[in-house]
Amino acid sequence: MADPSLVAAVGEVGGDFFKERTSETLPCQATDALFCWDWAKDNLDRYGTPTVQHVELVVISVVLGFAIAFGLALLAHRRRWLQPPLLAATGALYTIPSIAFFFLLLPITGRGRDTAIIALSAYTLQIIYRNTVIGLANVPRSVKEAARGMGLTERQVLWKVEVPLARPEIFAGLQIATVSTVAIATLAVFAGGGGLGAPIKAGIDFKTNIIIAGGIAILMAIAFGLALLAAQRLWTPWKRAETA
Amino acid sequence: MPAAAATSQTQSEPGASSVRYEGATKRYGNSAKPAVDHLTLEVPAGEICVLVGPSGCGKTTAMRMVNRTVDLTEGNILIGGESVRDREPARLRREIGYVIQQIGLFPHRTIAENIAAVPQLLGWRKERIAARTTELLELIGLDPELGDRYPAQLSGGQQQRVGVARALAADPLVMLMDEPFGAIDPINRERLQNEFLRLQAQVRKTVLFVTHDIDEAIKMGDRIAVMREGGRVAQYATPAEILMSPADGFVEDFVGADRALKRLALMRVSDIDLWEAPLAFVGQATAELRAKLAAPDVEVPYPLLVDGERRPVGWLSERDLAGETVPPRPDSPLGPVIERDDVMRDALADLLQGEAQYAAVVDAERRIAGVLSVEIIAEFLGSPRAKQEERSAVERPHG
Repeated sequence: MADPSLVAAVGEVGGDFFKERTSETLPCQATDALFCWDWAKDNLDRYGTPTVQHVELVVISVVLGFAIAFGLALLAHRRRWLQPPLLAATGALYTIPSIAFFFLLLPITGRGRDTAIIALSAYTLQIIYRNTVIGLANVPRSVKEAARGMGLTERQVLWKVEVPLARPEIFAGLQIATVSTVAIATLAVFAGGGGLGAPIKAGIDFKTNIIIAGGIAILMAIAFGLALLAAQRLWTPWKRAETA
Repeated sequence: MPAAAATSQTQSEPGASSVRYEGATKRYGNSAKPAVDHLTLEVPAGEICVLVGPSGCGKTTAMRMVNRTVDLTEGNILIGGESVRDREPARLRREIGYVIQQIGLFPHRTIAENIAAVPQLLGWRKERIAARTTELLELIGLDPELGDRYPAQLSGGQQQRVGVARALAADPLVMLMDEPFGAIDPINRERLQNEFLRLQAQVRKTVLFVTHDIDEAIKMGDRIAVMREGGRVAQYATPAEILMSPADGFVEDFVGADRALKRLALMRVSDIDLWEAPLAFVGQATAELRAKLAAPDVEVPYPLLVDGERRPVGWLSERDLAGETVPPRPDSPLGPVIERDDVMRDALADLLQGEAQYAAVVDAERRIAGVLSVEIIAEFLGSPRAKQEERSAVERPHG
């Protein structure tokens, strides 16, 4: 996917990452070792900024995507006829190859983080939207009937009964969306969005670099996944009761 | 029903209101046949009115028009003289308890939070809600500690009790119950029915109770409205009247050929004289018991082993009496145990199902109150006293 001509066309984002390569690091690269511990020890701090940028890309994109997808799902929950077209639309966005998506946006929104965030949040829509719709649809009829019969208004039924009960599915969607956004965000560099893609792109032929940047991305995905799992357990205490 | 009699009962029961249907009609869409057709009947405050009939007779629709979960097409329904049409649906519903077959507890809220649902909507203060929740848990016989559990951690029967407590939470004027015990197994259903009747004796709500089961209708209802297809009432009367003099062929068929047996549902075990079994205690000398059994006026020829609280443990056989003293574990099992509040029909069913000749009858504390046998029931049915009681049941004004 990182076709050299494409990469060239995008420009030299992060290209200066290894500009100040010292002579000591070169032998390690020359031997083509899988991992140069010495280099890693001396240069780990180079990854600080890209990592922070990456976290920002993921968090902003998922929050934005969640806000849009959740809103669409609530709309589709009230107006059933909207469900198929919305599913198709978010599905279509999801199928656009990510690099192509960045390039399609470049002429409209220009290079930079905003473009990356637009594309990344577009990818989260499908999963969060679909899971929220399913979660709302899974709320037992009897529970809604009892709620209305007791005098909850439609709005109260939605916010006090349906949305809380859809939480497990919503969280499952958020988890998949977040973890996959961590992965796709490594391509944000092609839109000028920075992140862990920058060191990868700048030193694509240096294995130690790839392993460190890739490793940080994997750890980040795991950390996000665990954090969301913890949040889910905290927010759906009845689920533990059901399985106990 | 003459209009003049309309509100005679309205204010008689504190905490409950009469419900009066005035030509209440529900038509869905442009369908020519109404689901409920000019229904006119009055449920006096504090009584249980059972709407019973085959499926599709409109009984649930008729019930749901009261809290406007189904809206009237024509006619009116008055609760305590006030038209439901003038009320905003959500506010109206908070004054009406609602219990459905599938219970519909909120799975994401604790038992206490479920019971607190309506008081919360009404904006009660926290302390008042907490006190009311504990009170209701005790009223339905659940350990208040269960208040912190989630519905999934309770049995079906416990969940249904919580459903009833939730409906009672804000002390509603009227309760609507839509086949509330329909999904419960027969043994627990009988128990829940008895419990609800005991509860009702305390709280005295006006209850509209929907069922397709005529036996349940006879047992639960102060009055029964037998409905037929097309949403019309075939007969509205006390259970005894419906059993003794069905208004037409439809009611007769619906009530069934075993009307004589069904009358057993009108009487409770506490209405008849029970037999007494010689009571035995662990460690008691068997000689003493053998002497009791040899007495000429003994009614039950087996001793019943009871614990220190006089709660039945089991029947003693010849083999148990062979030793010097009564053993702690009896040879034969206890068999069916019947509550004094059970209706006779259920008691007879328990006897037959348990293939038992005798069954221990216990009071609310599960202490022994006597012994019931098929023989007693047969004698009772044939006795002039039974006929007498049936007649008075028919003449009884409101059940």
